[in-house]
Amino acid sequence: MTKILYTDKLDNCVERWRSAGLSVIGPVRNANITAYRPVGSAADLELSQILPDRSIKELFFPQTEPMMRYSIKKDAINTEECLPPVGPRIIFGARPCDASGLAIDDPLFGWDYKDEYWFNRRNETVIVSIACTKSDEFCMCTSLKLSPDSTKGSDVLLRPLESGKGWQVEELTDRGREAFKAIAELLTEGAEAAAPTAVVAEKFDADACSEWLRNPENFESRFWKEISVRCIGCGSCTYLCPTCHCFDIQDEGDTFTGIRRKNWDSCSFALFTMHTSGHNPRSTQSARWRQRIMHKFNYFPGKFSANSCSGCGRCTRQCPVDMGITETLQEISKLSQ
Amino acid sequence: MTENIHSAPQNIYKPAIMKIVARHDEAPGVRTMRLEFQDPAEHEQFKETFRTGMFGLYGIYGEGESTFCVASPETRKEYIECTFRQSGRVTSALASADVGDLVTFRGPYGNRFPIEDFYGKNLLFIAGGIALPPTRSVIWSCLDQREKFGKVTIVYGARTVADLVYKHELEEWQKRDDVDLVLAVDPGGESPDWKHRVGFVPTVLEEAAPSAENCVAVLCGPPIMIKFTLNSLKKLGFEESNVYTTLENRMKCGLGKCGRCNVGSVYVCKEGPVFTAAEVALMPQADL
Amino acid sequence: MSIEQQYRTRAKELLSSGEVKMVIGYSKGSTPDRRRPAFISTPEDVETLVLDGACIANLSGYLVTEGLLSDEKRVAVFLRPEGIRAINILAAEFQLNAAQVEILGFNTEGNEPTALSGSKVDDFAELIGTLKGIIPDTAGEELYKKLEAMSPQERFDFWQSEFSKCIKCYACRQACPMCYCRRCIVDNNQPQWVNTSSHTLGNFEWNIVRAFHLSGRCVECGNCDRACPVNIPLRLINRKMAGEVLEAFDHFAGSSQTQEPVMASFKKDDTETFIL
Ligand SMILES: Cc1cc2nc3c(=O)[nH]c(=O)nc-3n(C[C@H](O)[C@H](O)[C@H](O)COP(=O)(O)OP(=O)(O)OC[C@H]3O[C@@H](n4cnc5c(N)ncnc54)[C@H](O)[C@@H]3O)c2cc1C
Ligand code: SF4
Ligand code: SF4
Ligand code: SF4
Ligand code: SF4
Ligand code: FES
Repeated sequence: MTKILYTDKLDNCVERWRSAGLSVIGPVRNANITAYRPVGSAADLELSQILPDRSIKELFFPQTEPMMRYSIKKDAINTEECLPPVGPRIIFGARPCDASGLAIDDPLFGWDYKDEYWFNRRNETVIVSIACTKSDEFCMCTSLKLSPDSTKGSDVLLRPLESGKGWQVEELTDRGREAFKAIAELLTEGAEAAAPTAVVAEKFDADACSEWLRNPENFESRFWKEISVRCIGCGSCTYLCPTCHCFDIQDEGDTFTGIRRKNWDSCSFALFTMHTSGHNPRSTQSARWRQRIMHKFNYFPGKFSANSCSGCGRCTRQCPVDMGITETLQEISKLSQ
Repeated sequence: MTENIHSAPQNIYKPAIMKIVARHDEAPGVRTMRLEFQDPAEHEQFKETFRTGMFGLYGIYGEGESTFCVASPETRKEYIECTFRQSGRVTSALASADVGDLVTFRGPYGNRFPIEDFYGKNLLFIAGGIALPPTRSVIWSCLDQREKFGKVTIVYGARTVADLVYKHELEEWQKRDDVDLVLAVDPGGESPDWKHRVGFVPTVLEEAAPSAENCVAVLCGPPIMIKFTLNSLKKLGFEESNVYTTLENRMKCGLGKCGRCNVGSVYVCKEGPVFTAAEVALMPQADL
Repeated sequence: MSIEQQYRTRAKELLSSGEVKMVIGYSKGSTPDRRRPAFISTPEDVETLVLDGACIANLSGYLVTEGLLSDEKRVAVFLRPEGIRAINILAAEFQLNAAQVEILGFNTEGNEPTALSGSKVDDFAELIGTLKGIIPDTAGEELYKKLEAMSPQERFDFWQSEFSKCIKCYACRQACPMCYCRRCIVDNNQPQWVNTSSHTLGNFEWNIVRAFHLSGRCVECGNCDRACPVNIPLRLINRKMAGEVLEAFDHFAGSSQTQEPVMASFKKDDTETFIL
């Protein structure tokens, strides 16, 4: 017997959570794009898309966020911190790759210095993921040792029922259990079978790739230039990626008042590393593409023990010139044989 | 790599407010500022964490933050000094700030020169142009406890006489008999009354030929100068593991989050900016 | 012989004879309906070239890749009429020497590619003349008409909702052959003309700057629209601006190599006095 949440109870759940003080967030389709957004009722949720077009990271690390407001007077500077609006939230209907992405970035935002803008939100958010029963040719979680029903980063995992009428509920963390207490009466004990999860073929051997990447000789391989000639450095792959975490700090305002902001930035951009002198340590697009791959599959795992990729496939799905992690790693897999 | 020392303030991005208590023009476009903490608690924290070699983010709200090393030594923590070249948006704003004005500071960040390991050894400092500030912090940190070290040699070169920074301190070091100062300007950069050497740093260094015996070298300068000077040091018998240098990659956070400063797997802001030449040699450098 | 095979043969000849050092075309993509840019420099590799109805990306932007044409050698490139117009603009704005560009012209009407005769940009002058005022790709026409019929407030609300999705990745800029500036105005920080943050105001600023900088220059190839990862119908903005410029100045972007840039030319007898 497992706990089951039937779809027709979802509206009640949303209501319960809301009256328990949680804001409810989930995939919402609006203006031609699906993103994780606040929902008023279950009807707002778009749960049928393979995965939202935009990743979950923006709920924790928005594209732009005020870090502090400043005001400058004759002999005083006042800094008002803009720590993220707190208040408990529940994300309903996250995809396992998105939830994993958050867990992948936690160590980065936490090593030695703790980024409160990230962790305040992390600590106040319950993540309810739904296992995938559909996938497309770009999904590649299994190549990253994750799966369509991986629990990494989730507080609760829901498995769609074969009947399509609801989900099996697997509570994974105390935070998840706590949130599901509020809807305990709306759950049913049952033995209804779960639908099979999506079959996602393994596309490359991530370990073999990491090993190839770790070999210093391959840093200067001609391969980098060949694989990236068509990259136009648009950065979409990094902006849509649930694990890319690079950012810029920018001030907006005048000499008296204004805001200091944290804005997304990307290693795909030429200016990212440009020194004031004009010297650029990564002066070509291929050097920048190499950095992206190296960072995700060599440097990051070396420091934080997991690849900085959860296999969501957005980078490839969206690339205007049909590049992406998948092709590059498939080629590296071949080279490493 | 030497170990890190970390401060753990509440909001890691919130800067301290500092007052400019003195400023001094070192060379055309290069200025030193002395800053004092306004909040005693923040000052306390600085005193606890600052060691020579660390850097900070100096800023003006509305313009942004800029990375400079802390140019003052760990033996003088009543204030922070920085020396910067006016080169862009933030540095221009800082350059127009006057004594009495307030600026912001985040830090100190990064690792340090492990000067305890230098005890009992001879020290060779080599700097080019505006790279004297990081070197100067170590120099004074050592000179303020002079008895702990052997022979001290400073080789400093700039493009022209006007470009030499810390001129008053150069004079002071010149006068000391426990410091060997070798000054040089590039050919063509000398003034009619220039009494010191003329030549590029690597050449001047080879002429001065300090012994590599029981000696640690600290080398800061533009990449091209570092490259050639390292060759000269090798000729003089220095091992790469006894040569310390600093990297100056572009930074934003200084905290190992924003991803900007990375060279290979190294987060320069956390694992640097101080590295031995041996460590730098292991970093991937090649562009494509 | 299929047009694809015909063009492969031509590409092979060009490479074998040394007339061009590279052919920029299309090859198979990661899914059956995707095509990707291909850079062919040996005759053997021409067999990977694909030419069919899915070849829609405008490849002219790659020609201004730093260093590509600096050795005076020639490069062949597959171009639809919009791409050919783009070459005219790049030449008129001194970004490349059109003599270095061998054009493999084609069009896609329906789903089948058709060959365009000619190889130098000027060979297509007549064709371009017949295209004047015709929208190359009418995707989104329905929405366009809807927008035209809206009140200014409604239209503002529409774009506000669209621009609030923008994440300022600048994919639209990177994908555009006309956005070749070494340092884009948004990357300038002294002074900071445009907010770098991607909040609604910053997004508006960016998209308006983009619309103006492309007025009279946009060839409506749709690269920006397809590149935008958040599906903002960018082509409608460009279409509007192209229409305005055509109406006000009888200017059809990319008509010839010698066409003056409409927003950057000055006539002494101009009746408007606002600039001086
Ligand atoms: C560890 C370390 C120590 C250093 N020590 C010193 C020192 O002691 N003295 C010294 O003179 N210099 C030092 N530097 C170099 C110094 O940091 C730079 O010269 C200085 O930051 C340039 O300042 P700027 O802000 O005026 O320049 P700008 O290039 O104008 O930069 C202004 C700000 O805007 C950002 N910016 C610029 N262009 C863009 C863009 N297109 N998009 C987004 N953001 C942009 C910059 O990152 C910066 O934050 C050091 C650097 C490092 C890393
Ligand atoms: S790989 Fe594709 S999405 Fe990423 S920067 Fe290059 S062109 Fe853009
Ligand atoms: S690198 Fe690509 S597949 Fe991996 S998490 Fe990022 S967007 Fe998804
Ligand atoms: S891939 Fe690039 S943008 Fe993404 S986290 Fe790594 S360095 Fe940053
Ligand atoms: S491509 Fe789209 S999201 Fe990116 S900057 Fe342009 S309009 Fe904004
Ligand atoms: S400066 Fe941000 S990670 Fe090093």
